[in-house]
Amino acid sequence: MTVLSGIKVKGRERRRGAGQVGYDRPRFALLLNAPAMIAIFLLAGYPIVYSAVISLHKYNLKRPRVFDFVGLGNYLELLESPEFWSALWITVEYTLLVVSLVVVLGIGIALLLNRHFPGRGIVRTLILVPWAIPPVVNGMMWQWIYDSKVGALNGLLKSLHIITEYRGWLSEPTSALLALVFADVWNMVPLAVIILLAALQRIPGELYDAGRVDGASSFQLFRYVTFPWLAQALLLVLILQTMSAIRSFDVIYVLTAGGPGTATTTLTWKTYLTTFDSLDFGLGNAYAYMVSIITLGLALIYFRILYRRGDFET
Amino acid sequence: MTEVIAQSHMRHWRQDVRLIALMLGGALVTVYILAPFCWLLLSSFMHEQDALSVPPHWIPKNPTLSNYLSFFNPSETRAVVGSRAIEQTLPGMLNSFIAAVGTAVVNLVLGTLAGYSLARFKFRGRGALLGIYLGSRMLPGIALIVPLYLTIKAFGLLDHLVALIATYVTFTLPFTIWLLKNYFQAIPRSLEEAALIDGCTWLQMMVKVLLPTALPGLIAAAMFAFMTAWNDYLFAVILTSTTASKTMPVVVAGFATDVTTERTLMATSGVLAIIPPLVLAFLFQRLIVQGLTSGAVKD
Repeated sequence: MTVLSGIKVKGRERRRGAGQVGYDRPRFALLLNAPAMIAIFLLAGYPIVYSAVISLHKYNLKRPRVFDFVGLGNYLELLESPEFWSALWITVEYTLLVVSLVVVLGIGIALLLNRHFPGRGIVRTLILVPWAIPPVVNGMMWQWIYDSKVGALNGLLKSLHIITEYRGWLSEPTSALLALVFADVWNMVPLAVIILLAALQRIPGELYDAGRVDGASSFQLFRYVTFPWLAQALLLVLILQTMSAIRSFDVIYVLTAGGPGTATTTLTWKTYLTTFDSLDFGLGNAYAYMVSIITLGLALIYFRILYRRGDFET
Repeated sequence: MTEVIAQSHMRHWRQDVRLIALMLGGALVTVYILAPFCWLLLSSFMHEQDALSVPPHWIPKNPTLSNYLSFFNPSETRAVVGSRAIEQTLPGMLNSFIAAVGTAVVNLVLGTLAGYSLARFKFRGRGALLGIYLGSRMLPGIALIVPLYLTIKAFGLLDHLVALIATYVTFTLPFTIWLLKNYFQAIPRSLEEAALIDGCTWLQMMVKVLLPTALPGLIAAAMFAFMTAWNDYLFAVILTSTTASKTMPVVVAGFATDVTTERTLMATSGVLAIIPPLVLAFLFQRLIVQGLTSGAVKD
């Protein structure tokens, strides 16, 4: 009942020109947020703190009784180990490759699908196919394609006379990383296309007409008309793709399991190995925290840029 | 005169070339998108020896449904190879479905409440809440998995679908809240005010007026939550262990990392895992595009 009357008051306030409804309903608003906040605190907030605590302890499930406080010991151990730096470097390589390929392919396909041609509608629908495929299935599908003995990629390249003998794409460091990147990109491109295409469709056609009248070349039209209108969507694609590349787990698990050797062992994969293979929960959580710090740091930078540009709305 | 005709010919010719180039590009993109998926699909209709042939037969010589049928009859013919994964496929589908639908439903309820308050009320702590929601979206799952595992173990909920649903809700809720907040903000307040003046309670107004108007947003939110839950592997592999709660991605990964598995069965399980999200994607194509771009593109 109080709720109801509160809202009616709001309505009157607005007509008075306050513009903001519900000034007097903070409790109700907080109540509405309570269930969500409880869930998030219980299953995200508490774990992230717990994780920090574990990362400050020596805690290995192989010796479950030992839970000794070691301060930043795990972090120091991590920063001194070449494995960490190798995993960090591979993460950077992997992320840069995935993000740049997704952006280039995404812009290309979005520009294409923004033009009129017969069959465009069908391609716009089909672009959803890779997006709908779960990453695990994506990894399994590419594993089947890359197979060194009976794989479709080998079969195709051989019948086209590009290679003379079947190759183990996943058993050689460089090609394994590239194969992994390619598989992930295939899965991720549609999201970029959808976001970029929506942005392209909002560019007023008159701008191009005006540009053409002024004698602008196609490149100039892209540089001075298309690009500025695309910038915001592009930034969003960059954020989403960077985050998802750093977190990549499923596809690595199925496709390469971090190998051959450590050629595709990213930080996320290293975290998993340390935690669930070596059962070193202390060090594993220190790894996990490094991943969080890097992700959140990047997120903050991106949001600052968005905010500065005035694109960020609440 | 002839010059003008020649020029117009030239222009037509140019337009044709451009159109052909565009269509060619479209065809290229289609091949890129569909070829890998088609190979998986075709493999699922092949006999094992055909799938393993070198060079590959692109089109199955005598297509068969036996791969699909063996999931319904796991104890029969091909029990030796990959049998565990075969037995787990159908329960896995069911578990995935329950987890995904459960996640979607809980998301809608909690997301509507929070999203509405953020869309309509200005209050102290609103900014902080938005920040928390946004920030928790950024947390990588791998960072939470150990404490989550220990917590859920302490509750005795390991290998229970409830634990999976709770986890997925936590990870999908922030996005749902943002999405619904944007949808609610786009709906004119006058609609609610009219209903309240007509004597509706707040709840009646929500159910009868606001939610039906926001239906596309609700469907989009439910679908994204469903898909996230359906796709998840990391949490599922850590939090589940038997057919009581193993989801489809865990089963598929089991196939993929088992060298004794028949490849055609593996491909078939993959196809089965793709069907539900693919159907949803095609059914709600326009909503997906709207949902993915909401907040990405300013009005």
